[in-house]
Amino acid sequence: MTTLKARIKRNALPSAEKIEEEQLRLVWKTPIGWRYWTSVNNTQVGLWYGGAAFAFMLFGGVLALLVRTQLAVPGNNFLSADFYNQAFTLHGTVMMFLFAVPIFEAVAIFLLPPMLGARELPFPRLGAFGFWSFLIGGVFVCGSIFFDAAPSSGWFMYPPLATDKAYSGIGADIWLLGLSFIEVASIAAAVELIVGIMKCRAPGMRINLMPLFAWYLLIVAGMILFAFPPLIAGDILFEMQRMFDWPFFDPTRGGDPLLWQHLFWIFGHPEVYIIFLPAIALMAMIVPTFSQRPIVGYSWIVLAAVGTGFLSFGLWVHHMFATGLPQISLAFFSAASEAVAIPTGVQIFVFIATMLAGRVIFSVPMLFGAGGLAIFVIGGLTGVMVALVPFDWQAHDTYFIVAHLHYVLIGGMLFPLVAGVYYYYPLINARMLSPRLGRTAFWLMFAGFNVAFFPMHLSGLRGMPRRVFTYPEGIGWDWLNLISTIGAYVFAAGVLVVVFDVVRPKHREPRSEQNPWKAGTLEWLNEPEENWGVRSIPIIESRYPLWDQADLMQKVNEGAYYLRSAKENRRETLITSVLDAHPLQCQRVATSTTITIISAALLGGVFVALTFELWILALLSGIGTLSAVLWWLWTGTGETPEKKTKDVGLGLRLPLYASGPDSVGWWAMFITMVGDGTAFASLIFGYFFYWTIHPDFTLGQPGPGMRWPMIALSLFVAAWAAMLGARRLNASGWIDGARLALVAAFLLTLAASAAGFAGPWQHDMQPTAHVYPAIVWILVIWALAHAAVGSVMQLYCLARSLAGRLTREHDMELHNVALYWHFMAITAVITFAVIGLFPEAM
Amino acid sequence: MAIAGGFIWLTVIGLLAHATRHERTPIDERVASRLIFWGGAAIPSLLLFLLLGYALWLMPGLRPFARAGEANGLRIEVTGEQFWWRVAYHPADGGVPILSANEIRLPVGERVEFLLKSTDVIHSFWIPALGGKMDMIPGRVNRLSLLATKPGTYRGPCAEYCGTSHALMTFTAVAMQPAAFREWLAVRANPSPGASLPGRDIFLRNGCGACHRVAGTQAEGGVGPDLSHMGSRGTIGAGVLTTDDEAVRSFIAHPHLIKPGSKMPDFNMLPQQDIAEIASWLKGLE
Amino acid sequence: MRIIPKEVETLWTLFTAPVIWAGHFLACYALAAIWCAKRGDLGFAVVQAGIVAMTLAALAMIVLSGWLAWRQWGFGTNDPPHDDPTATDRNLFQGFATLLLCGLSFVAVLYVALPLLFIDGCSS
Repeated sequence: MTTLKARIKRNALPSAEKIEEEQLRLVWKTPIGWRYWTSVNNTQVGLWYGGAAFAFMLFGGVLALLVRTQLAVPGNNFLSADFYNQAFTLHGTVMMFLFAVPIFEAVAIFLLPPMLGARELPFPRLGAFGFWSFLIGGVFVCGSIFFDAAPSSGWFMYPPLATDKAYSGIGADIWLLGLSFIEVASIAAAVELIVGIMKCRAPGMRINLMPLFAWYLLIVAGMILFAFPPLIAGDILFEMQRMFDWPFFDPTRGGDPLLWQHLFWIFGHPEVYIIFLPAIALMAMIVPTFSQRPIVGYSWIVLAAVGTGFLSFGLWVHHMFATGLPQISLAFFSAASEAVAIPTGVQIFVFIATMLAGRVIFSVPMLFGAGGLAIFVIGGLTGVMVALVPFDWQAHDTYFIVAHLHYVLIGGMLFPLVAGVYYYYPLINARMLSPRLGRTAFWLMFAGFNVAFFPMHLSGLRGMPRRVFTYPEGIGWDWLNLISTIGAYVFAAGVLVVVFDVVRPKHREPRSEQNPWKAGTLEWLNEPEENWGVRSIPIIESRYPLWDQADLMQKVNEGAYYLRSAKENRRETLITSVLDAHPLQCQRVATSTTITIISAALLGGVFVALTFELWILALLSGIGTLSAVLWWLWTGTGETPEKKTKDVGLGLRLPLYASGPDSVGWWAMFITMVGDGTAFASLIFGYFFYWTIHPDFTLGQPGPGMRWPMIALSLFVAAWAAMLGARRLNASGWIDGARLALVAAFLLTLAASAAGFAGPWQHDMQPTAHVYPAIVWILVIWALAHAAVGSVMQLYCLARSLAGRLTREHDMELHNVALYWHFMAITAVITFAVIGLFPEAM
Repeated sequence: MAIAGGFIWLTVIGLLAHATRHERTPIDERVASRLIFWGGAAIPSLLLFLLLGYALWLMPGLRPFARAGEANGLRIEVTGEQFWWRVAYHPADGGVPILSANEIRLPVGERVEFLLKSTDVIHSFWIPALGGKMDMIPGRVNRLSLLATKPGTYRGPCAEYCGTSHALMTFTAVAMQPAAFREWLAVRANPSPGASLPGRDIFLRNGCGACHRVAGTQAEGGVGPDLSHMGSRGTIGAGVLTTDDEAVRSFIAHPHLIKPGSKMPDFNMLPQQDIAEIASWLKGLE
Repeated sequence: MRIIPKEVETLWTLFTAPVIWAGHFLACYALAAIWCAKRGDLGFAVVQAGIVAMTLAALAMIVLSGWLAWRQWGFGTNDPPHDDPTATDRNLFQGFATLLLCGLSFVAVLYVALPLLFIDGCSS
């Protein structure tokens, strides 16, 4: 292996090639000094994301130790009841929202481009924006406990406890707004990952050759798209109740606390798999390497990932088995909860089969992987038990569940993650972690974990409910709790050993090889010293190209493939087709910028100001966010390239510009709007939910009537048609016609919005009086907010056209906005048809 | 179930441990694929199908109460409050309900129907020894039927997190022989003979009756627990302390120390003597 | 009979069977939940008949998509792993993975229909 230093020695390469290489290096160079933080490159953003998530994990771990210390002996006074309640709420919140989900966005952002043979993900600035949003929101939520203002209603925030302002204070607002902000970041990451996996693979990497990690992440990102929006919809209803007293969850005015439980768990259960699948994805990379053979049952893994992804959405009511729903409903969810165990079993057997068919090297990553599996299988078996309704009636909300969920999450997520840290650490700074410390850490963690959590099964079966800050002595829980506490400290010691191993200085140690574990997948081409991902983008012909394609590493490093240079001083990566990864386009990606930090800070300002009900500040921050985002879009996207095509090497010329379904921006819009549509569907679900629980759900309250909603509906459809007209006219070359159509679409949007507003307004619907006017108003507000965004988009297109940045050939913005308007039209039609026609039909 | 689970775990982990041995001969890929099909997919599908069928078969039998028209015996209405239990016994003949708090008595060998409600936040009603739990949700009435098969005293904790003192919200369920139960209930229909003793006046003078009800006095408050026969309950403060003079006195003086988040104000500004009088009067309400 | 033209190759066929499962699941849940909320215990036979009909329809659709997948997989004449860098192998892989998902979805639909055998009312 030629080391980097040897290669860049003055005479090692002919000078033309060396200049090319230096130029490429310069283009991808990470900024230094304070500007380091303006980097948007996936390597830095991935590391920051991961570092922040780990820091939050340690914080959550300290909270857990406080909780365990309090419970060590009966009647303990170590923590007050109120502080204990804040601590366990924040522990759950931090671990789920600030560690478990973000850590895999971090790992994916860091690993996916090198694994797919891409230079970068398609929207680096979006990724950076997501990171900064996450960091701001996370610090805000965590910091609250130092002011004794942390949420204390449990991490699933059941109303009416959490909507009771006297009880939950500002903590619940911090939870709702802080986490909504983070959910936005997660959806941003999901959009980025889906487009990246579908469109940015190296040429030749057909979907049957894609690394399994990418398959899993594709499914997980898709799940995020359908799982997070219901929670965002729930958050909106929740905050409207807390801030403005709209009675969504107040039974005295027609609301129902159960709606929150539905929306929360439609998010909450898929979330478990959103956390679990990426960890298994790491195992799917690690197991073949140490079995020294390709995975057995590649298609089975795809089956398992896709199957789990779907089935996990049919489980949410199993968190509500004790709420008194009809048994037939419970039974459906029990059935789906049992079915989801099948794909999970398949994944485990794929690993076992692969190991049996290979020759296993039992390294530290394998140790953590196998240990995690042993723990996870117990969690899976108890999961099968609690999915059975009669068993759950006993076990629900007891320490049995606490044990079950920690077995699943720590065995299924934390152990594989640590395995991944040991496995991939050389990609971060070209050094190995210590196998000795790794084994020590493993045994401390493994033993500590089981000592801590196994007794909880028993204390749960002995009737100990979860979330109790103390318990009386002599009812059979004393010893079990003391043992659990001791185990928790041993476990924490193990985690500390891992942390020590990761952060201890290693610059004196020898540099590890480029592919120290002799793995077969592309990410091992990556050199930590280089920011460009790969020296040149290879052509892929195998699932394990480093095993099967002779001299691949050498040829890539010599620049023998695509995009070996950056003659125009631009960061570039290849866009390929979805199924067969044929090269389609040379995509220019964004470079370092402060706009992502500014936008995230301003958006954070909106959420923080709302928390403290500082309306003016919220409004100003909102305007600031809008301006920042517009400036970001105006200067950073939809750029007209200086030439039509570019020679990307090996005699291939690719276009530099694409619009419509050929462009990544169109895909991002499409995917975002699917998520947005899910949130909308959740609100519609709310409308019909209220209809089912009341004999007459309007309860004599006035409705919006039929006339105004129908007018609004027609005008929105007309605005949509005008928008499509604008795109057509522009494509046909009649630019003035297109501009006129845009103006018409804008005016129609305004008129439609006014008509939409007029319905409930004219009928004097009072949203605080009853849940019926409240849910109608929410639907209308949702539609109008989207119309507002849609009209800004129309004006943006008009401005781009007038500025000459949107032309007949370069019409990406028009395509994307038209796509937005497809969804806008669907939203408007459903909204106004439902609120206008449904009460009449009843 | 635990044994079957343990067996499955041992099988899988045994296979895993075997697979990690470096020196064994690798198996053929076709054999490995078959292992995935049978071990990962086919056998689990079948086992889970049978298990699911068994559990579904159990369900209607475990919670049979809602078969229309069947529940015509005693109904006990329990309302969750932060952080105690309001109890009302509705006699089968539709007579005046008998009020109580934080203690539930039920006859052995007879199915009792519970009507579960809440006025503030979600609680969950659970007597682990008698059966599964059922949430108490504001705006809804959940029903649960339980059958005690042997006499005894059982602990019932609130199972759904309900705020600061969720941990201190328990009740005692006492299963009694049917005859003894009926006798006990009949006695509770009347005020306690102790209701007219001296401590009563101090109790009333200090406004305790605004929140608490004591049958046979002017104390008619409905905010806090009914104290009509408090002395006959084993515990006070919803299972926090054993009912003795000392405990009652300290609860009156510092409810917040004993039960954080409780709605009852501290009464430690009263003279010790008055508190002691109230306590001994309350304890005498049997 | 060709349901999907050969020229239109897409990733989405992979998701056919799970989508059918999801539709079946939601329809069963919605039917039962709405019926129980609106009609009480009267005429539960309607729910039962509805679920039976939906289950049969779902199973039939899954079998059909399974057959299409089987055909795409070349009727089982090729064994996995389908890892050659050719459009043919990519196609076979898609067929095989789709077929597996059809199997899983078929089983899952059966699971979801199972409550019908044991629970015959809206009681909670």
